[in-house]
Amino acid sequence: MKKTFTINISGTIFHIEEDAYEKLQVYLNKLKNHFGSEPEGREIVADIENRICELFLDKSKGENKVVVIEWVDEVIAIMGTPEDFIEQEGNEEPLPGSVKGKRRLYRDADNKVIGGVCSGLGAYFNIDPVVVRILFVVLLLINGIGLIAYLVLWIAVPKAVTTAQRLEMRGKEINISNIERSVRDEGTDEKRGVQSVADSAGAKGREKAAREGGTGYDLLKGLVKATVIAIGIFLILFGFMGLLGFISSLVIGQTFLSDWPLAIDSDFHLYGTLTQFVSQSTVTWGLICVGFLIGIPLLAMLYVGTKLVFGYKSNNAAIGLGMVGVWLLALVVLLVVGTREISNFRDNSSLSTSETIYPAAGKTMKISLTEDKYNGYKDLDWDLDRFKVVSVDGRNILLGKPRLDIEKSSTHDCVVVVKKQSRGKSRDEANNRIQNIVYHYQVTDSTLVFDPWFQLGSNESWKNQKVDITLKIPEGMSVYLDESVDRIIYGIANVSNTWDHDMIGKTWVMQPEGLTMKDSLDVRRDFLQQ
Amino acid sequence: MKIENTKAQMRKGVLEYCILLVLDGKPLYASDIIQELKEAKMIVVEGTLYPLLTRLKNDGLLTYKWEESTQGPPRKYYALTEEGKAFLNELHESWLELVEAVAKIKNHQA
Repeated sequence: MKKTFTINISGTIFHIEEDAYEKLQVYLNKLKNHFGSEPEGREIVADIENRICELFLDKSKGENKVVVIEWVDEVIAIMGTPEDFIEQEGNEEPLPGSVKGKRRLYRDADNKVIGGVCSGLGAYFNIDPVVVRILFVVLLLINGIGLIAYLVLWIAVPKAVTTAQRLEMRGKEINISNIERSVRDEGTDEKRGVQSVADSAGAKGREKAAREGGTGYDLLKGLVKATVIAIGIFLILFGFMGLLGFISSLVIGQTFLSDWPLAIDSDFHLYGTLTQFVSQSTVTWGLICVGFLIGIPLLAMLYVGTKLVFGYKSNNAAIGLGMVGVWLLALVVLLVVGTREISNFRDNSSLSTSETIYPAAGKTMKISLTEDKYNGYKDLDWDLDRFKVVSVDGRNILLGKPRLDIEKSSTHDCVVVVKKQSRGKSRDEANNRIQNIVYHYQVTDSTLVFDPWFQLGSNESWKNQKVDITLKIPEGMSVYLDESVDRIIYGIANVSNTWDHDMIGKTWVMQPEGLTMKDSLDVRRDFLQQ
Repeated sequence: MKIENTKAQMRKGVLEYCILLVLDGKPLYASDIIQELKEAKMIVVEGTLYPLLTRLKNDGLLTYKWEESTQGPPRKYYALTEEGKAFLNELHESWLELVEAVAKIKNHQA
């Protein structure tokens, strides 16, 4: 008893016995490989199949007989094998097989210890895999690079499955005799090996074209190849360094080392610090998303780079699409989390308190800052606008910088207006935050001393809290701006349009037209009078 | 230097000429061409012919049309184009020259 298949040759249905089918398949694949996958080659193979169909029809003589292996042998004898064609044509070209084939990087599953990466690299560089393994272990022990490199290669480099791939891995030309030898050696599935020959027929055609091309073409090809490899190496380095830095800074910071320092000499930890700004879940999700958003492109770079340099084939469309999917998902989640977080800033509220002060008449009031008591502590060296986080005894304190403006008072009184502002999900929430803001200043008869910072309050997070101080002084009154207030004065209008920074260390008088600088003569006269 | 190789080279040189000769006058189908060439011992295996036919066709020397067959798949009937005819005439001349040249050399030797 024999199994039969139904096949279709040139539109005619035949029943064929299993062994005959396999032989015919091998033969047709040989032909396809010989003639190439260009339109011309396909036409030739189609013509030959046509003829084979006729020969089979001839043999069955109108009856519905089953194609047996003898018929296939006969047909092959009539049509001839590619080897016959080469002989008949008196081919001047060297027989395939004498040309060294191009190597490709594969994972060698036959000689693997873990994933076959080292044995594959060994085959690629034609060195003993043991050397590669030692190298990897050394790299692993030194700084762990070996592990990451191994994992990346394991994921990215395809396993040599078919015989054709195994040959490519060792740089042997894929041709019938090599395949057959290899298949015989390994005693593996013949069909698969030959099948992949058909797949590589296109590549073979291109190689042939390259051989026939002139030196100009070769030169160009070499140039392009060198460029591609250079780009590949660049991508690998960039992707690798990026991943390394990225992983250590973000992912590790988030997951298992929550006390990963932000700076070498700092008490600040990324995770903990971020929660000063946004809610904890936002930080967690945000970090995960950012991890994917940056990590995936870096991985892709690494992957494309290795692909360019080693020129291996892989059809991991699923992984590629999955990556793109994850990336998009991360983007969406980040947007959602971001919008949710932004909603915490939706509403705002402000609260102004006014205090009328009574400075000694006729005297110039000196405006200065108290000593910055948070100066000695370690602070987060982030360039944030008017905001800083300091660590006092292991606790993070959030500080904001107030803004001081000086205006003309509409009355004869001197008034200090402190306006606190905050944002929040609702007006109430914003109001609560305002209540938590702590800000002080001290008044004596001729001095006004402000704190350099306001505190956001314990357990608060940054929601764009602000403190705006407006000092309203009546006409005729003069103030001296101490050097220290440089830090808080903000856009003080004056008749000479002097910049804030240039206003300090000087005495200013409120005139009907606005704040006017007392010229140095006036100052000297005042000084002498005193 | 293998004698087979030299023979094959010689055959290869005139094979195209022979195909065009066979097709001169009447359109033929691949099996007919094969039959004639096999009888003349110009080709051994049939597979050799198909690439040649395709190449001649792509070079514009041959053309074909499909014809239904009572038995089996439709057949390609090949015929010479005008270009093919001119090509054949030139080959014809050079073949005669070649034969003449060889004969001349042979006669000299004799």
